[in-house]
Amino acid sequence: MTTDDSFNSVCDFIAEYAAHLMGVGVHTSRVVRNSKRIGEAFGVEVQMCAFYNNIMISITDDETHECYNKVVGISSHSISFEHNSELSALSWEIYDYHLPLSTIKEKYRTIVQAPRIHPLFVLLLVGFANASFCRLFEGDGISMAIVFSATMIGLYLKQQMFAKHINSFIVFIVSAFVASLAASISLIFKDTTSSTAIATSVLYLVPGVPLINGMIDIVEGHVLIGFSRLTEAALLIMCIAIGLSFTLIMVKNSLI
Amino acid sequence: MTILNVILDGLFAAIAGIGFGAISDPPLRAFKMIAILSALGHACRYCLMHFLGFDIATASLFGAIVIGFGSMWLGKKVYCPLTVLYIPALLPMIPGKFAYNMVFSLLMSLQTVKEPGMLNKYMEAFFSNTLVTCTVVFMLAIGATLPILLFPKITFSITRHKNKF
Repeated sequence: MTTDDSFNSVCDFIAEYAAHLMGVGVHTSRVVRNSKRIGEAFGVEVQMCAFYNNIMISITDDETHECYNKVVGISSHSISFEHNSELSALSWEIYDYHLPLSTIKEKYRTIVQAPRIHPLFVLLLVGFANASFCRLFEGDGISMAIVFSATMIGLYLKQQMFAKHINSFIVFIVSAFVASLAASISLIFKDTTSSTAIATSVLYLVPGVPLINGMIDIVEGHVLIGFSRLTEAALLIMCIAIGLSFTLIMVKNSLI
Repeated sequence: MTILNVILDGLFAAIAGIGFGAISDPPLRAFKMIAILSALGHACRYCLMHFLGFDIATASLFGAIVIGFGSMWLGKKVYCPLTVLYIPALLPMIPGKFAYNMVFSLLMSLQTVKEPGMLNKYMEAFFSNTLVTCTVVFMLAIGATLPILLFPKITFSITRHKNKF
């Protein structure tokens, strides 16, 4: 150890740090690298094995060969790219400047407790995003306006249901159903691109982060967790399809 | 008119990228880069498909490569990991219309099981749409991940403020 802080407190921090990063949607090799980097700064060797719900972590003191083992549960936080960037930068700061543990913990708390983007602002941005998406698929002005409002309704519902800790699969099915049902209002307008409107209204739900992280994990050799993440993404995509299907069954005669 | 179409395509892709990024709480400094990358990637795919006659999967691969390498270059400027920039930038390239047709034709196949003519038509549509959707998503992931595989050292130290190179 190259610090006066106790071995256990350093190890506890590394375990908490790694579990938090996994929870906010960071691909495994980055979590492993960041944790090893922090360990190196303190003169300890970090080895870890990551699964979908847990991390097994083993830390050895380079001098005394004292060993610390822990299985840490990964609590599922909502995805945060800000935590990903700032906590990665923090690991380099610890490595480059050998900060004391108290300062590191203070910086860590500041990053983790920083307020997220306001949900209403997110709602507005995602509404515009999906409307633009509709335009990219050659949707017309009316479809874009309908997709904008359908997305706002669907996403608002998703945010509210997540806040009440409802099962994420149910949340995805209901949000997809409501958003596509709202978009099916476009069917009452003649000569509008209603199928494009219904198709794009659910795309804000696409789980891009587990999909890409799963691919990265697999090509980087973390095959088990990679497949776990892809399975999660596949299930969520199926939920979107189920929600969309409910609407399509209701309006299919108008679409054929 | 043609140039205007490319610019409009990039513009709408940029708005889409910013919105899809906002769901995942990126740092504020990343928004500008996400917009640039989305616009570049989507406009690149648009040009390849409309002017050079590329198919959607190959064009998506090149679009994703542009986004991947672009995020390596821009990520260094704003100290953001590659995935923070390229995941939202890739989302506007998701083949949503094909995915929708996939679900719709699956549903119609199940509804027309007793009518062989219609069943064949919908099953064919289901197969071709599934093929395009899966291939494009796979190409997007591979294209954007390429820089991480090719230049691991640069991509790993992208959030480092102290420059040691």
